[in-house]
Amino acid sequence: MSISLRRALVGAAALAWAAGAFAQDAIRIGWLSSLTGPLSSAAIAENQGVQFAVEEINKAGGVNGRKLELITRDTAGDPTKAVNLAKQLAFTEKVHFIIGPVNSGESLATVPILARAGIPNLIIGSVDELVDAKKYPNAFRAINTNRQWIEAANHYALNVIKRKKIAVIGDTSGYGTSSAKTAAELLDKAGIKPVYSVLIDPNKTDLTDEMNKAKAAGADVVMPWSAATGLLARLLNTRGDMGWDVPIVGHPALMAPAIKKLLNKPEYWGNAVAAGYVSTTYDEKGKLPAKTQALIDKLHGKMGTGEIDYMLWWVALGYDTVKIVEYAVKQANGTDPKVIQKVLENTKGLQGVYATYSWSAAQRNGFPDHQIVMNQANSFKDGAYRAAR
Amino acid sequence: MLSALIAGLATGALYAAAALVYNVMFSTSKVLSVTTGHTAMLGGVFGAWFMQAFGLPVPVALLGSIGVGALFGLLTDFVAIRRVLSRSDEHLWLLSTLALATMVQQAIALWWGTEPKPFPRVIAQDFGAGLLDQKYWLPVIVAIALAVGLELFYRRTLYGKLFVAMSEDIFAARARGIPTDRIRMLSYVMAGAMGGLAGFAAGQLTFAYFALGLTLTLNGFIALAVGGLGSNLGALVGGAALGILSSIATYYVGGEFQQTISVGLLMVVLLLKPEGLFGTRNVRPV
Repeated sequence: MSISLRRALVGAAALAWAAGAFAQDAIRIGWLSSLTGPLSSAAIAENQGVQFAVEEINKAGGVNGRKLELITRDTAGDPTKAVNLAKQLAFTEKVHFIIGPVNSGESLATVPILARAGIPNLIIGSVDELVDAKKYPNAFRAINTNRQWIEAANHYALNVIKRKKIAVIGDTSGYGTSSAKTAAELLDKAGIKPVYSVLIDPNKTDLTDEMNKAKAAGADVVMPWSAATGLLARLLNTRGDMGWDVPIVGHPALMAPAIKKLLNKPEYWGNAVAAGYVSTTYDEKGKLPAKTQALIDKLHGKMGTGEIDYMLWWVALGYDTVKIVEYAVKQANGTDPKVIQKVLENTKGLQGVYATYSWSAAQRNGFPDHQIVMNQANSFKDGAYRAAR
Repeated sequence: MLSALIAGLATGALYAAAALVYNVMFSTSKVLSVTTGHTAMLGGVFGAWFMQAFGLPVPVALLGSIGVGALFGLLTDFVAIRRVLSRSDEHLWLLSTLALATMVQQAIALWWGTEPKPFPRVIAQDFGAGLLDQKYWLPVIVAIALAVGLELFYRRTLYGKLFVAMSEDIFAARARGIPTDRIRMLSYVMAGAMGGLAGFAAGQLTFAYFALGLTLTLNGFIALAVGGLGSNLGALVGGAALGILSSIATYYVGGEFQQTISVGLLMVVLLLKPEGLFGTRNVRPV
């Protein structure tokens, strides 16, 4: 072996050692994202927000002088893969935080594992059972709960447009079934019994019967609780083809840009209202909240000035999760999970783009009720919406 | 109620078309390929893509869909059938066709996306046509045309007779000098083309959706087993019965029982008439 080669090898080894030391020093964030598979559109947008925040923080010198290191794993929306990847992130990669997974079904499987591993877990699934201060003390939810969406929609239907004859439509997936059940329970509390309720296979090709039955039952508002855009588009198409001008009020997927292309006629999207967020709703002057606008400007700076063609709140949520990590590490002055838990438990009014977060020792849901607002489904513009009046 | 019947008939016609695709492949290879539903999925997705991305006129897009289906049929024979059948009599084709079907579905999910996408109007018609809408009747017409066409093909053409000969006894057919490998390949190409056509015809009903394949593979199989393996009339009747029964069951008891009803139908028929409504009982010569 020539001397120069030996030197090179020694140099390389030293470099590898230094890189290892740096990696140890970095704050490692595991990101369980379903970049392919069902609900990938939400995950892809969230991923943009997560990556953008990591780049931004690292450019500004990291957190307390430590760089953020993002370790992304694609779960493809599959709970089994999510479990394996969560274990890998926790035990092999030894990450300090885990964001995700994206879908509630995956989170239901990973939350207990991450609780046992004692790793702080930022929850971005909306199913109510995902957080529990006793069973999963390290899990803190950044997104709203499903119940909050449903309460907002029920309030709009009952008190704003003053409808009492409600048709509740769910799909036969786990999510659709439990949401429809929650919707019926909450209506029951308000003293309303739906005039018609039904669960539909999300791939059912025709909804004429269901809509005819709802009409025959005298429904004056139709409330769908399903994230399946195909089903929601068919619902809007059926209503339009029937010439029935009943308001449709429900799940945020009602206003997903993907729906627009599936409609028989663009006007079928009118008179449809979905649960959305204050942070991504234009005020009367057509302005967004300052923090949201600042994020849009930064995104435009990075990706060009073209219109944003995805729902901005996913990006804002992804962005916020990393900012929550930054906040927690700064406050805890390190990454000790116990201290991080204490810091998050004592968080009040942490200002993010997507929401203002507060958690406590007993409350792991960080999203405040009043930051949910009803949006006109067809008002999508540059990632945000107009409020429904 | 009438709308439940018509919608059920339309979906049933698509199941019937899938059952016919099974029949064609089964006749020459005795294989029930898991890729059956995926040929129709490809027809729908590529039909929508040809029309929307390239603005191709309907007939050209239709030919394109049929072509993609045929190519996929050829690929199925080449990748999942040929070597498996030549090496083993075991039912390994179940795994090889499942593998190919899964790969194709994943590839389409990555390229096309996992959200359903629209399928354009094939014939100019107002959306207020109600039950006369083309989305209900195109699949029905195509399923009947496919069944009639297949019958004529089997009875009137030399190649059709070769298919029949192979379905009755593949060894005797080979002994008589029939190039069985080539005929099987032809049957897969034909089955793929039929699936592509059916998927195109049902595109407005199903949207262009990556996950359609497995549903059709399962329901097409139920239609086939109910109607009787090998019978084209059985495929039509089985498909229509399954579609209408599921639709009416959903109408009366709700969507959560839809799958139970269709699989329940299969169980009942298998218990009462294992060979299916129009199937022939195989008597093993001793």
